[in-house]
Amino acid sequence: MTTTVNGPAGFDLLSTVETGGCSAKIPPRQLEELLQDMPLPADPRILVDIATHDDAGVYKINDETALVITTDFFPPVVSDGYEFGLIAATNSISDVYAMGGTPLVALNIMMFPSTRIPMEVYKEILRGGHDKAREAGVSIIGGHTIDDYPPKYGLAVIGTVHPGRVITNAGVREGDELILTKPLGTGIILAGHRMKMTIPSQLENAVSIMKQLNARGAELMQKYSVRGATDITGFGLAGHALKMARGSGVTVNIDMKSVPLLDCVYSLADQGCIPGAAFRNLDYTEGGTRFTSDLDYNLKMIAHDAQTSGGLLMAVAPEKSRELLKELHESGHGEAAVIGKAIRKAEADLVLQ
Amino acid sequence: MKTVDTRGLTCPAPLIKTRQGLVEAASGEDVEILIDNPASLSNVKRYLTDNRMDFTVREEGSLSVITVRRGESEPDANETEYCTPEKAPVAAGGRKTVVAVTSDRMGSGDDELGTKLMVSFFRTLVLLEPAPAAVVFYNAGVKMAMDDSPVLDHIRELSEKGTAIYLCTTCINHFGIRDRLPAGSFSDMYQILNVLKDADHIIRP
Repeated sequence: MTTTVNGPAGFDLLSTVETGGCSAKIPPRQLEELLQDMPLPADPRILVDIATHDDAGVYKINDETALVITTDFFPPVVSDGYEFGLIAATNSISDVYAMGGTPLVALNIMMFPSTRIPMEVYKEILRGGHDKAREAGVSIIGGHTIDDYPPKYGLAVIGTVHPGRVITNAGVREGDELILTKPLGTGIILAGHRMKMTIPSQLENAVSIMKQLNARGAELMQKYSVRGATDITGFGLAGHALKMARGSGVTVNIDMKSVPLLDCVYSLADQGCIPGAAFRNLDYTEGGTRFTSDLDYNLKMIAHDAQTSGGLLMAVAPEKSRELLKELHESGHGEAAVIGKAIRKAEADLVLQ
Repeated sequence: MKTVDTRGLTCPAPLIKTRQGLVEAASGEDVEILIDNPASLSNVKRYLTDNRMDFTVREEGSLSVITVRRGESEPDANETEYCTPEKAPVAAGGRKTVVAVTSDRMGSGDDELGTKLMVSFFRTLVLLEPAPAAVVFYNAGVKMAMDDSPVLDHIRELSEKGTAIYLCTTCINHFGIRDRLPAGSFSDMYQILNVLKDADHIIRP
């Protein structure tokens, strides 16, 4: 089982991140405050910028082609360098898919302590990144490394999309049904693994989800004329759904009982294995969210669990959702499910029930 | 009074120990939680607030001491096991039939016949009333759930009726077919064993 053993150099990458799952990302509320005074560039060729809290920027080149540009990197989430590389690359490329684009080329972004970790581990991480990029049809054509501890890895990715077929946080329409393509709970499982509360197959299952490309989901979104979607990552299902609701001017209603969960996630949350990031995401969402009185506490926290390389949350016209779901089920997303609906803008932007 | 010492621990360990301490405490007993890292302190306070538990916080230098009384009903004291797999769903009628598919053929003797019989078995299984609580696939049985399986539609139909579909992860990895399983959930031996244990009847084609 490659997910539980160390790499060929015998080095456990998780030993470099002692603070637990709490600290990889700046809290979303703080980030929003920091960015609010930043002037947005005014250029009609910019189709998508941070104004709608989207996954990637989109820049129109001509009437046929727009560039999708994104970057993402983070410290190790698993022990093995190769697996970490696979997951980090999957996660970085996912932002292009979330915009409905096709990824083309990428650059490596690496922070690595050259004197504290065997350099074989560096090669393993890169090998994982390159293998996943190849699977996605992406050529890695350069990169940048600086000496830093703990290590961090990810990609800057460029893809293309037709300017008229960009899928954004702002494209959700009233009445759309929301489909989530991957089960939720990678943050809780990774924390549970750290706490030795999981059995190997549960971690392995989460790892296989994290290294599954969202390529097929992106293709299907275009086929079914989806215009609103995002991928679920650090801000959790609730955080990303809230951004989508605000970007689109609708209220998003999510039924947590219909959300697919990774094996064991509910039980871990129930035992208090809730990473700090979930609490920070909750700080961010609660201003715009109504939690129904019968919402189960553990499900509420699972909705805020920071995901690594999570699934796509896509808004589809209700008459097409059954067919889209069927195709997702047939293409390796066996647990995809309709988890909610966009309704007319109400007082709360997000309702979790 | 029960004391939970989380000093030196990082997130989410203090919360886990808090939860564990509350589960172990007697009803009405006070639990004292020692926390020395600010992030965990804030998370534990939030957790207690959200679960409507009254508490007080006392600062002793960099150490915070939370005192909380364990309530009458909360939290449930019966969930101390790690990673308890979900039980197989059992409908109101008490259907607890579990089907164990251990091979891609039914019976032994003639392989071609065995394949035919297995297809026929699934075609008939979907007609069974009430539907089984779960179908568990292991060893070569997992191949029956592959994307080119002649019975995949029947498996989906069962799943839509509420039958849980469990696939043995070790077996999937052994055959290298992880990417070719469009239905069902990947399960470990612990989960499979629990599903079989909780069954009233087991059918093995």
